[in-house]
Amino acid sequence: MKEQVLVFGKTNYLVGIVIDPPKVESNNHLSAIIFLNAQGVHRVGPNRLYVKMARKLAAMGFVTLRFDFSGIGDSEVRADNLLFKRSIVEETQEAMNHLSAAKGIERFILIGIHSGAMNSLKTACNDPRVLGVILINTTGYGDKALNSYVTNCRLARIYREIGWSSPQGWLRIITGKSNYRNMLRVVGFQLRRVFTRDRKAIPKTHGSTPDLRTDLCLLARRGAHLLLIYSEGNPGLDYLQAIPDDEIRGPRSRGTLRVEIIPQADPTFTLLRTQEHLCGIVQDWVQGVSKTDSEYKCAQLLRRER
Amino acid sequence: MRISTPRGGIEPFYFGTSTKPLFGCYHTPLCRLARECGVILCYPMGQEYIRSHRACRQLVIRLAGLGFCVLRFDFYGCGDSGGDFEQAGIGQWLIDISTAISEMRRRCGLTKICLVGLRLGAALSMMAGAERGDVESLVLWDPVVSGRACIEELMTRHQETLGDSPTKIDRHGTGERQTEILGTLLTDSMLTDIAKIDLLAVEKKPADDILIIESHQEPGTTRLRKRLESIDVHITYQHCPDHRVWSEKLYKALLPSLVLQSIVSWICQVYP
Repeated sequence: MKEQVLVFGKTNYLVGIVIDPPKVESNNHLSAIIFLNAQGVHRVGPNRLYVKMARKLAAMGFVTLRFDFSGIGDSEVRADNLLFKRSIVEETQEAMNHLSAAKGIERFILIGIHSGAMNSLKTACNDPRVLGVILINTTGYGDKALNSYVTNCRLARIYREIGWSSPQGWLRIITGKSNYRNMLRVVGFQLRRVFTRDRKAIPKTHGSTPDLRTDLCLLARRGAHLLLIYSEGNPGLDYLQAIPDDEIRGPRSRGTLRVEIIPQADPTFTLLRTQEHLCGIVQDWVQGVSKTDSEYKCAQLLRRER
Repeated sequence: MRISTPRGGIEPFYFGTSTKPLFGCYHTPLCRLARECGVILCYPMGQEYIRSHRACRQLVIRLAGLGFCVLRFDFYGCGDSGGDFEQAGIGQWLIDISTAISEMRRRCGLTKICLVGLRLGAALSMMAGAERGDVESLVLWDPVVSGRACIEELMTRHQETLGDSPTKIDRHGTGERQTEILGTLLTDSMLTDIAKIDLLAVEKKPADDILIIESHQEPGTTRLRKRLESIDVHITYQHCPDHRVWSEKLYKALLPSLVLQSIVSWICQVYP
C-alpha cells in the first residue's frame, strides 16, 4: 500500500494524497473514495481521521484520495473569482476526472465531516458519477424559516432534556445565568405549535435556497447510497428530524439511506473509541455499497452480452 | 549571496526511507534574491499540529517570498507521513529532523540551516540542534520547556474539549484509554519520554543565534533564556501577544500575523 502525492487540477493547483490498494487486496473495484475538507482543516481531517480512514479503506482494496480545496492546506488559491460554493463542486469534479483518466475509475464515494459532508452532498447532486456519500455530522442548511424552526426544536429539546428537571437548571434561571431570550423563544414556539392549526407543519424551503431535505431526496430518487453519521446530540440531527418520515421512508427501507448515531461522541470524535466506532461503520457500509454496485454491474454486463 | 532565477510554488513530496516515509513540502524562493540559509519548519504534535497547520504554511510562504528555501515536513506518525502516532516517539522525531536537514541540503545545496519550531516542535528543534551541533540558528515559537507541564496542559485541554460536547460524555464509562489525549494515543514510553523533556537541562549549545518568541509569557521561557545565555548563545526574545492557534477552536482558522511577521523579520535580519 503506497501513499503518493497527487498534484492535479487545470493549473496543477490542487494537492492530495492518493493511496493505491495493495495488488493482492485490489479486487478491481471501480469506485474510489474521496475525502473532502472539514471546514478549514487540511486533508488529514479532524483528529487525523481522514488519514486513518483512508488507510483502512485502502487496505480493503479501494483507491482513496484525500485532497485540499483551493486555499486550504497545501493547495493554492484559485486565480479566478469563482464562488466557494461553486468551486468546491468544480474541484471535486476535477479530482474525479483525474482519477478517471489515471486509473479508469468511473464511480465515486464522497466522504466529509461537518461542512465537508455538505460539500459532498452538493457535489453528488451535481455529478451522477457519485455512487454514494458519507455525511458525518453534516451541518443542516435551509432558508430562514427552516433554520429558525430547527433552532426552536433544538432549544426545546435541550430545555426538555436538561433544563426543567435539573436543580442546576433552575439555579441558573434564578441566578440570572440563563438565556431568557431563548427561553421565551421556546415558550412562544411551543404555544404556537399547540394553538395553531398547522402545528405539525415543518416549513419548506422556498425559492432557490438549497436545503438538506431537497438534496437528500434528490439523491435518494437517483438511487445513490447515503450514509449519515452523527455524534450523539449533534445539532445536525435536528435538521434530519425536520424531514418528514414519508419522504425518506422509501430509501431507508430499501437500505439506500442509513442513519447512524455514535453515542458518547463529541463532534470531532476526539475519543479513540468513537473514532474506531466511526471507522467500523464506514468500512461496513462501503463494503456493502461496493458489493451492491458490483452485482449491479455484473447484471448489466450479462444483460449486454445476451 | 547566490542569485537564482525566479521560480515559484510548492513541491509536495515524500522523502526518507520507504518503511518510514515522511511527507514534506519544499518551497522554492519566490524572488531573485536567494538567501544563504535553508529554513526547516518543525510542526507541533497531535491536535496542535492540525490547528496550527495554516499558520505554519503562511509563515513558510512569507519566507519563500523573501528568498528562502523552506522545507516543512510532517513528523513520523503525524499528518500525511507514514505510521501511527503511537508508533513514533522522541527518538524517531529527532531522526526525522536529521533526515529533513539532509533532504534540505540535498535539494538546495546550502549548508546553513535554520530550524523553526512551534511548541513540541520547538523543543525537538532545540534538542536536535544540541545533538547535531551544525544548526546555525533556531526560532523557538512558544516552546515546550517542560514536557511534564505540556502533558498536564494537554490533559486539561482534552477534558475541556469533551466538556464542550453537546452530549454529556461519561469519560469513565466509555472505555476511554488512560493515555489518550486530544484524539491521539500516547504509549507509556512516549509519555515517559515527553515528560523527560527539560530544555533547561541543555548543556550543549543548540545554535549560535536563537529567537524565542512567545504569545503568552511563561516563567519557563524566562528561565530558558537565562540558561541559553549562560552557555554563550546569542538570544533574541520577543513577546507578541497574539492568537495561540494551536489551542484555539478547531474550525476558527485564525492567523497570528504579529508572530509570523516577527519571525520573518528576525530571520531576514540574521540572513540578509
